[in-house]
Amino acid sequence: MNLYLFQVVNGIGLGMIYFLISVGLSIIFGLLNFVNFAHGAFYLLGAYLSYTAVSITGNYWLALIVAPLCIAFFAWVCERTLIKRVYHLPHTYQILVTLGVALIIQEVCISIWGPIGKSISPPDSLKGVLQIGDFYYPQYRLFVIAFAAVVALLVWLLLDKTKFGALVRAGSEDAETVSLLGTHTHRLFSITFALGVGLAGLAGVLAAPIKGIHPFVGPEVLGIAFVVVVIGGMGSFTGALVGGLIVGIVQSVMSTLWPQGASLMIYGAMAFVILLRPYGLFGRA
Amino acid sequence: MNKSTSIFGGVTIIALALIVLMPILLPSVTLATEILIFALAALACNLLLGYTGLLSFGQGIFFGGGAYSASLVMLHLDFGLISALITAILVGASLALIVGALAIRRTGIYFVMLTLSFSQMAYFLAYTFSDWTGGDNGLLDVPRPALTLFGITISDLQSSEAFYIFVAAVFAIVFVFARRVIHSPFGTTLVAIRENEGRSSAVGFSTNHFKLVAFVISGAITGLAGALYAMLLNFAPLSNVELLMSENILIMTIIGGTGSLIGSIFGAGAIVMMGDLLSSIWPRWMMILGAALIAVVLFLPGGLWGGIISLTSKLSSIKVKKNLTSEVTK
Repeated sequence: MNLYLFQVVNGIGLGMIYFLISVGLSIIFGLLNFVNFAHGAFYLLGAYLSYTAVSITGNYWLALIVAPLCIAFFAWVCERTLIKRVYHLPHTYQILVTLGVALIIQEVCISIWGPIGKSISPPDSLKGVLQIGDFYYPQYRLFVIAFAAVVALLVWLLLDKTKFGALVRAGSEDAETVSLLGTHTHRLFSITFALGVGLAGLAGVLAAPIKGIHPFVGPEVLGIAFVVVVIGGMGSFTGALVGGLIVGIVQSVMSTLWPQGASLMIYGAMAFVILLRPYGLFGRA
Repeated sequence: MNKSTSIFGGVTIIALALIVLMPILLPSVTLATEILIFALAALACNLLLGYTGLLSFGQGIFFGGGAYSASLVMLHLDFGLISALITAILVGASLALIVGALAIRRTGIYFVMLTLSFSQMAYFLAYTFSDWTGGDNGLLDVPRPALTLFGITISDLQSSEAFYIFVAAVFAIVFVFARRVIHSPFGTTLVAIRENEGRSSAVGFSTNHFKLVAFVISGAITGLAGALYAMLLNFAPLSNVELLMSENILIMTIIGGTGSLIGSIFGAGAIVMMGDLLSSIWPRWMMILGAALIAVVLFLPGGLWGGIISLTSKLSSIKVKKNLTSEVTK
């Protein structure tokens, strides 16, 4: 029984990380109508940056803040120089250009950090184990759940309660009208892209002490993010959260029984959702 | 029928010349064989992407399916060369029929996502059924049977030169067939679907039917390429069905030039050669691939072949201008 509880809690942690990756992909698709195949690569870069930050300063907390900000800045630069040139092109072209970006990031990461994976340990204050009755659980993993939940809340507040969020939501409906009403949509797009990609970077930093850092993980992460976004519904915040948790828990519970089966199931579910309900659980037609 | 569209016209001659020149100019015949095999896969991908406008991340399914099925019937059922290749063609076509029939129910990004999910499922299925596929280790000891026609053994294909000639012959047949397909009314309808699906369907074409047939042809050719690749390597690795294989085939198609069959030879050639020549000097050569992909999409939509065409037409227009000015000065 405890084993299953353990797996479910693990799954929630994994699901929150998947949420952080997917919500950015989803918002970017919703507002910019842009398909970002480099999303997994930015996750990877975030994880590697946190590795470097930790090995230089020895301070995980610093890495947790600095690495995602660097990723967001880098994403902003990418958007200003390259991505904005592709918005008007069909999705096919967007996919190919970002696939190219993903390849470059991956290869640069390998050139800098080597082809063999890296690992970082959680901060000393979270190395312990939490005990509730006869249930033991690593503190760091609980921290990931709590921290991701706070970030989720902040993102929700940002999207739902601020002027910026209102513009993002309005722009997702009709970017042209928002632009006609006097908003600099270019700036809105850049900030949203940086925010979405920064969240993927943050996910990379949070996941690094749990899953390690492997240079070829980008496409896998991207695949899972697409599964989450499709199941939840493109452009939906709630969808990314629920989808992330479903995928995380399924993967975690299945991991002891039949790990390839978990992948078969989630990709099967993705195909099923697209065929039967293309707008996902929470998306709108 | 003008010169450029006739079966044995201009482009076909260039393709044949390339087939003859490649083993002479390249450092090894095996490299040339590999290029032609991937050119087949890229050509098949081109039928979907370049002519029908379908971006499929599922080409690895057909490539791996062809490799596995041909290897299995040769290993377990003692199939000969031709019958193993026909098996691969049929398996590639059937897999494409299944994937295509489901994927074409959606368009745009959802179509791409569907092919992506099928590709991932195929990989994990191949991994799970390791009794048949060898799992991570791949299928080992895949034979390369002799070429026998009507009971007469023409060649045992064991030397790399003999196998190259065989692959080149297969490539030439497929190339001529593919040109026949794209210049037929069927092919022009595919282009019409790529350009404007709504209008094509409005004038009475059942577009899904056409897309599905394009898928099946593409799957059949890709399956054939996969089988030849297994025979070349004597090995059918799991990486054949990986998403990365689908991506590689796509990248070859795009860099070579979408919408030109001959571009597929250039695309496959460029990438296979880069992989072979650069990987020992600079293992991170894939970085160039990423940059090339971006550059082609943004600046050179016709790919390498499109670049060659526009370059030659520019050169000839310069010549014409020179002639004109010299005439004027006279």
